[in-house]
Amino acid sequence: MRTNQKKIQHLYWRAGFGLDISELETQSKLAIKKAVNELFRKAKTPTLLKGNSERMDMAIFNKLEKSEKKEVRKKGVQSMMELRTLWIKQMMRSDNPLLERMTLFWHGHFACTILFKPYNAESQNNTIRQHALGNFKDMVLAISKDIAMIRFLNNQQNRKNSPNENYARELMELFTIGRGNYIENDVKEAARAFTGWHSNGKDEFFFNKRQHDFDSKTFMGKNGNFDGEDIIDIILEQKQTARFIATKVYRYFVNKKVNEKYVEQLTNVFYNSNYNIETLMRTVFESDWFYDKENIGTKIKSPIDLLVGTMKTLKVDFDSNKSVTFIQKVLGQELFHPPNVAGWEGGKAWIDNATLMIRLNLANYLFQTAAVNITLKPEFEALINRSTIKKIEGSLKTGEIVKTFKKKDNSVIFEEMKDWLIQPNLVLEKESLDDFLFNDNKKNYIESLVMRLMTLPEYQLC
Amino acid sequence: MNRRNFLRNTGLASATLFVPQFLSGYTNKGFTNNGKNLVVIQWSGGNDGLNTVVPFHNDLYYRNRPNLAIKKSDVLKLNDELGFNPAMSGLKSLYDDGLVSIVNNVGYPNPDRSHFRSMDIWHTASNSNEYWRTGWLGRYLDESCKDCDAHTALEIDDTLVLALKGETRSGFAVSNPIQLKQRTQNKFLEQITHHHEHHHEENVAYLYKTLISTQASANYLFDQSRIYKTKTTYPATGIGADLKKIAGLIIANTDTKIYYVNMGGFDTHAAQKGQQERLLKQYSEAIAIFVEDLKDNEKLDDTLIMTFSEFGRRVKENASRGTDHGTANNVHFIGGKLKKPGIFNEAPNLSNLDHGDLIYSVDFRKIYASVLKNWLDVEPESILNQEFKPLNLV
Repeated sequence: MRTNQKKIQHLYWRAGFGLDISELETQSKLAIKKAVNELFRKAKTPTLLKGNSERMDMAIFNKLEKSEKKEVRKKGVQSMMELRTLWIKQMMRSDNPLLERMTLFWHGHFACTILFKPYNAESQNNTIRQHALGNFKDMVLAISKDIAMIRFLNNQQNRKNSPNENYARELMELFTIGRGNYIENDVKEAARAFTGWHSNGKDEFFFNKRQHDFDSKTFMGKNGNFDGEDIIDIILEQKQTARFIATKVYRYFVNKKVNEKYVEQLTNVFYNSNYNIETLMRTVFESDWFYDKENIGTKIKSPIDLLVGTMKTLKVDFDSNKSVTFIQKVLGQELFHPPNVAGWEGGKAWIDNATLMIRLNLANYLFQTAAVNITLKPEFEALINRSTIKKIEGSLKTGEIVKTFKKKDNSVIFEEMKDWLIQPNLVLEKESLDDFLFNDNKKNYIESLVMRLMTLPEYQLC
Repeated sequence: MNRRNFLRNTGLASATLFVPQFLSGYTNKGFTNNGKNLVVIQWSGGNDGLNTVVPFHNDLYYRNRPNLAIKKSDVLKLNDELGFNPAMSGLKSLYDDGLVSIVNNVGYPNPDRSHFRSMDIWHTASNSNEYWRTGWLGRYLDESCKDCDAHTALEIDDTLVLALKGETRSGFAVSNPIQLKQRTQNKFLEQITHHHEHHHEENVAYLYKTLISTQASANYLFDQSRIYKTKTTYPATGIGADLKKIAGLIIANTDTKIYYVNMGGFDTHAAQKGQQERLLKQYSEAIAIFVEDLKDNEKLDDTLIMTFSEFGRRVKENASRGTDHGTANNVHFIGGKLKKPGIFNEAPNLSNLDHGDLIYSVDFRKIYASVLKNWLDVEPESILNQEFKPLNLV
């Protein structure tokens, strides 16, 4: 095995979504340090998500008839589906993989369900993009003013005379410092500081002075006329916040099993940089331990990793949003629709008997060699039948892969494709696959090999 | 590539039998099967409990629902206060035979009116300000079923519900045993499972283990599904077909303790009457046949059916002849061994509401505690992570 190539692939899997065949040619020869620099250089300018949705005027919406509201919602749900597909295609094609990866990470961290307001979804996503490698405090502050989040965690109902603690609680429990590092009274006081952080009739952020509690608060042992920003500052003064985020970063980018020593190193780097996310992430990707054997090829791909990675490999073009949405739903990771504010658990939690069989058959479905025939769970709001997907509607192009490998011997093709497509260490003799491969011509051999490798359980890891 | 050739060679269409060594002795490993089955029926969308078990003696009910209320004369009376929706004659006859228990006012503190969140709470059994990753039945498997087979808890569906997901163990989704067998037993997958005996990396090992147990259970369920063919005619509805499959497996003495099925369509914001009654009729007819089938095969005493929804609906009807999201609701139990058949507790109190919604009096986790302790024979506390006193249900 060519060690450098495996490490480069590791970097691109964790900092992006893997390498397609032409990227493999160009990137696999780079030194790690150079590849890391390139990723960060490209990420300097945040790529945005550019949908075509318009802001929903809530003042008008609220006055609509029930049936009209229903129609608006229905259209919104449709547009959300388009937005998800747009983002997924962007992850696949982007020349800025690190930014796409960081956006997905923070999207899961600041988990927020957005079902029918694509403008709010797009705008939240772009807020995350602006700060994805910037300063963590700026990002937390921007999220605290994000319309979708304000609505999702009920800060809209957080008023001077009847505080709603939902946002303040999740801010501490899930977004910054973690459970066990504050007391109930801190939640109450933080909620007071965020009173009046509302969304106006046009669905824009609006500081509602009349609903804000300007009185003194006691939070984490400090006294003052705190507002939301002060609360964020005080939370970030606690080193535990740096540790909470460093741990989450380690478990997502490196290994679910925490190595205390390395996490402490990341915590210090993050805290001492005053919460600079780029510094934190550079440390991860530049550390020798990131490329240790136990970290390579040991992460279970999330449904989005699997989908985007496979789309890159096979140059998949989906003909319908329905198919892209189906894969997200059935495998348990629909963008803008996490299970709850705690986000996606990841790891083994992605896998059960049903999702595993669908994952192993994904290449079969894309090559149209197997019927799908899977029925989704009833939608809560749907009154009629559940939807069944018969086949994946999309096309794929293997021309480039065939071109790359066709001049080589089958045994070389086997080894090189295995190294490219299978990230974990794979003990597999070429002979054991021979019965399942086509030898009549190179194109068939290569395509059947791609499909077989993608059916291996090891393909589910990166 | 020639698609036809490819298809022929994928083995997906071929029906090669796969009988590997790990299939030997896969009965009752590690858990004591007390022979009891639990069937959970989930109603998604929030069923209107007040038009299911109707408080026909309560003026407030009629006052709040000028268009939707069910006429006293149409109600299938259960006692002086409550009666079933007229679409539920099948369930009514089971009720008359002492096979039904209705628990009223079931809910939880600080109720959430979002479908997703409230169902999440029912699935995980968390408090409403907590976010748990595992389901209550999944944790039951973790706790008492460490070495048992993948099919110990079955969901009749293509995807698996959170309620059945545990930390280390999970339930098993299957909608059609024949299709599942085809999907799992193709030559290529056989080959790779045979050739991979030793996996040291934890996640790789986990994937292979899941694959192998899926293949084993798919085979087992395929065989089990062919043992008993019912002579009873089930209604040609989704729930009818699901319960027919479950009856077949129960009667064939399948090593499955928990069955889980879904019914959707209960989110009746508009034109509720036709929609809800259609669903209640499908449910009631299918259950009546199911119970008869189990009874004829002496399995009714070993079976407990529980039906729930993520919330009930607002007491007052809306302007679209529908109802909006509410809170407390009734839960149905059906079985041959109920401790207290009939109406289990007090009828809903329509004069004391919280913002127009019913106030719960029975925490749903007490119901779970009863099922766990008195039906599945396990201590509920470690599974529910809190102490809930079981009710005298089963």
